[in-house]
Amino acid sequence: MAAAALREQLNALLASMFASGLVDEQFQQLQMLQDDGSTPGFVAEVVTLFCDDADRIISELAALLEQPVVDFDKVDAYVHQLKGSSASIGAQKVKFTCMQFRQLCQDKNRDGCIMALAVVRNEFYDLRNKFQTMLQLEQQIQAQQ
Amino acid sequence: MRPEERNGAVRRVRDQFPVGMRVLAVDDDPVCLKVLETLLRRCQYHVTTTNQAVIALRMLRENRDLFDLVISDVHMPDMDGFKLLELVGLEMDLPVIMLSVNGETKTVMKGITHGACDYLLKPVRLEELRNIWQHVVRRKFSNRERANVDGYEECNRPLNADFDNVLDQTCVSPDQSGRPSKKRKEYYSEEEDEGEESNSQENDDSSAPKKPRVVWSVELHRKFVAAVNQLGIDKAVPKRILELMNVEKLTRENVASHLQKYRLYLKRLSAVASHQASIVAALGGSDPFMHMSAFEGLQSYQGFTSSAALSSFSPQGLLTRNNPTSFGIQGMAASRPIQIASVNSTISHSIGDTNKYQLSLPGTSNRPGNLAEGLKATSVGQVQLPQKWIQEETHDLSTIISGNGLVNGVPGALRSVADSPLLQQDLVERRQANIVIQRSSSANSEHLEGTTGVSSCLMDSHISQQSGLLLSAFSASAVPMNGSFSGTNVAKLGATSSGSTNICPSHDLRVARDNDVGDSSFGSVILLPPDTAQNQKYLNFGGGSSVRHNMDGGNADTLLDAKLAWSSLPTSQPPSNIGSHHPLSQRPNNGSLGVKMIEQTRASIAAPQTKFDMFISGDILTPKNASDLSFPRLNSELSSSSCSFDGLLNSIIKMPFHLTAVFIHVQEKDDASFSDDLGCDFYSLGACI
Repeated sequence: MAAAALREQLNALLASMFASGLVDEQFQQLQMLQDDGSTPGFVAEVVTLFCDDADRIISELAALLEQPVVDFDKVDAYVHQLKGSSASIGAQKVKFTCMQFRQLCQDKNRDGCIMALAVVRNEFYDLRNKFQTMLQLEQQIQAQQ
Repeated sequence: MRPEERNGAVRRVRDQFPVGMRVLAVDDDPVCLKVLETLLRRCQYHVTTTNQAVIALRMLRENRDLFDLVISDVHMPDMDGFKLLELVGLEMDLPVIMLSVNGETKTVMKGITHGACDYLLKPVRLEELRNIWQHVVRRKFSNRERANVDGYEECNRPLNADFDNVLDQTCVSPDQSGRPSKKRKEYYSEEEDEGEESNSQENDDSSAPKKPRVVWSVELHRKFVAAVNQLGIDKAVPKRILELMNVEKLTRENVASHLQKYRLYLKRLSAVASHQASIVAALGGSDPFMHMSAFEGLQSYQGFTSSAALSSFSPQGLLTRNNPTSFGIQGMAASRPIQIASVNSTISHSIGDTNKYQLSLPGTSNRPGNLAEGLKATSVGQVQLPQKWIQEETHDLSTIISGNGLVNGVPGALRSVADSPLLQQDLVERRQANIVIQRSSSANSEHLEGTTGVSSCLMDSHISQQSGLLLSAFSASAVPMNGSFSGTNVAKLGATSSGSTNICPSHDLRVARDNDVGDSSFGSVILLPPDTAQNQKYLNFGGGSSVRHNMDGGNADTLLDAKLAWSSLPTSQPPSNIGSHHPLSQRPNNGSLGVKMIEQTRASIAAPQTKFDMFISGDILTPKNASDLSFPRLNSELSSSSCSFDGLLNSIIKMPFHLTAVFIHVQEKDDASFSDDLGCDFYSLGACI
């Protein structure tokens, strides 16, 4: 595919991500940092970091919530961390869900937490897919140049 | 980077300040850290990152001059951000900016009260970062101002050489009244630097034009506490305190900020104390023990902790050298002062740098001087913890011990402890030095009761006070340590600690009587000599409570595995493991100070809130949170490889309502080796408190 077409695809993807609230201005700022030229590959790096980290956290959360007696403090700690990561990268939806999740943790609502985890997981997977597509497109564009 | 290069580079970029400002960024979240780093680089700062607070501390301690500013996340697994904040502020006096996704007012407030110069919310934006350099400038400027404006008066205290240069300045600088005063003398005062080398960490050179910070020496703090006690903690207002203290050049603001910290410290202690009280109560104990009121101060005295940290606990020193200073735990509810001489003496161990005592006694931070003095006082460098602290009633302790069938007639041990250097060298060596530093509220003995060395020492002092159970607990358990001492110590510890194991090296731990908050904080620092094998035995207290060995961490082998499980002494309940002390960092080779944290007492403890924070210095073990009591993140905090104290402190700080027993495990191996380690460990320990 021509670079231009790829780029168009990428832009469309990004636009939709923004429009759907999947990512917010923070992500935009990260992109700008990269576009400035001084830090190429920055977004890719951060996105990858985020995906790995969030994946790990979600697994840990799942394990914790499966325990007969849930340690809500630990759960809360992980959710807090995920919230921080998602905020830093601009993953808005995930961040919001984390905020609700935290509230459920504080209420020690186990079922609520399990549900919240499911929501977070879905949103994260969705975001991750989009990120992966985005990265692939970028790579292809790079390859063309 | 080599120092020369760095200096050169530093000087060059400094000319273009804020360009090239050197920032140390700490955040456990890799995503945030990466983003932060990139943003900071975009602002043309020079960035160093780490995802572990302990590493950050180490870097800072190695050379404070490497950085101009620290940015730290609040929520970190290995150490609470606030703790790091305090430590950095105290030890290095660098501006620290907090970062968190949590923007709740109370959290932000906490950051500010702990001394952060700014609090940013994640996601952090570039524009915000562009302005952070102002904090660096502001700090330097105000320091310089203070130095110029106020002279400082030399406080001619008979400090040891180490502290010679430290001035007991009571000049106050309005904008820094809070934190600087907590700075311990041994830390170098903030440098007004224009690229000048930082003073040695040991900072003895306060004689240089330091900024006139109020340094709350032992003397000063003693006066302060006396004044407060005289007025009554509730009625103590800065103005009146100032009048009573009658110290020149001390301003109301100094006193006010000090008071604030003291209150927090007391609160913290009381939390612990109450717990201990319950334990003691269980033992049928003495009220006097349970004065945990004062943990509140603990929190605030984080500053102390950093500095205090077990100051110079040289394992050997502690134990061996202890002068049987009576540490008379005076504070403790008028308990007969237990001559926990050993405790005192032990503390004065020349720990690493004597100056830095890292008695992380809560509230010690307030009086760096105190510890220092205390420490210095003894020729051997024993730290004499403020007397108040360990006013353990030895009697009580003994009683309890005996009552509980303590092993070896703890009472005897106590006596012996009292009479003779608590820690016999070997004891100390092997045992954990328990420094129980309790500050009794009023009584206050100004001596630092550094009960180090034999755990008994500490234990006696505080522990007995705090929790009779502990004693019993100890007694129950086999005496791991060599010989009698350990047993007794442990027992003692048990006894006392159950109540409140506050190892508050520095501050007045007020032992709350009858869970009387605010009365006396206990700072019991329990130094448990590294006695790995034996410690284990400690853990079984009270009716065979299950001993928890929470020795998670690595140096389990080296560290004394002394987990003192203090059976909780709630009368009604069967004693359970109160807490295990994990001897921290028992690094045989390097005399690390092992702090044993007393794990929170088990559920059996009537007051489940008692949590003994385990301090593990150096090779901190992360105690597994065996107990059911919620020990949130204590483990994580506790685990740390090098600066375990930090973690400990952290945990202690974090748990206002828990008994924080810092067992400073002094490793008695060699003094020499000790010093180095101690230095570091102590700091952290101090910080912890």
